[in-house]
Amino acid sequence: MDLFNQLIVFFGEFLLVVGVVGDLIGALGMLRFPNFFVRLHAATIGAIGGAFYPLLGVTLIAVGADFLGAYRWFIAGSSLITAFLIAILSPTGTHALARATYRSKVSKPYPKVVDHLEEDSHA
Amino acid sequence: MLDLEHQVVTFIMFLFPFYVLAFLLYVVRVLRGPTISDIVLALDALLYDVAAFTAILALFFKSPILAPISMIIALWAYATDIYVAKYLEGREMGD
Repeated sequence: MDLFNQLIVFFGEFLLVVGVVGDLIGALGMLRFPNFFVRLHAATIGAIGGAFYPLLGVTLIAVGADFLGAYRWFIAGSSLITAFLIAILSPTGTHALARATYRSKVSKPYPKVVDHLEEDSHA
Repeated sequence: MLDLEHQVVTFIMFLFPFYVLAFLLYVVRVLRGPTISDIVLALDALLYDVAAFTAILALFFKSPILAPISMIIALWAYATDIYVAKYLEGREMGD
């Protein structure tokens, strides 16, 4: 049982490292990318790689770390529910924001190859 | 074999500066964003990462009451997205 806990905690720490790397890459992309529609990519990395994976890692660590007492199931359950919420809410909110930005012409999507939405709206 | 509690706490302490650096880079984009969509997008990613960081702090301080706060922060980030999207589309439909 001790080895099993150690293994779960090691896997959770690996997910935390993946989360830190995704977080830094998302922040650098958010800072360096040219306009809003390119920054959507960095926001996806920051939300899924930087928040979803660390929350799964916190869940695994809280399950395996028996020094936290009986309340570790509380941490594990709420982290799992938050990870599930972020996996649903982040694409939905980003899609709504991108659609509103495109339709209100706040920002122009300029590095583009084809724009079927614009062709359909002119037809 | 190393003590599990000591190992987890040391590992989380090692992660702290990287998270703070990522938060500072997001805050630069929040302050500098040319349009309101950029500000809201950067704030969105920042708040999701703060939610994950709050769950990690619950492990670090061994206080389980910090863990559900991350759920509330994630829902607030989504609410910001939807409010601003409705505002932008409403202005477009009103003109």
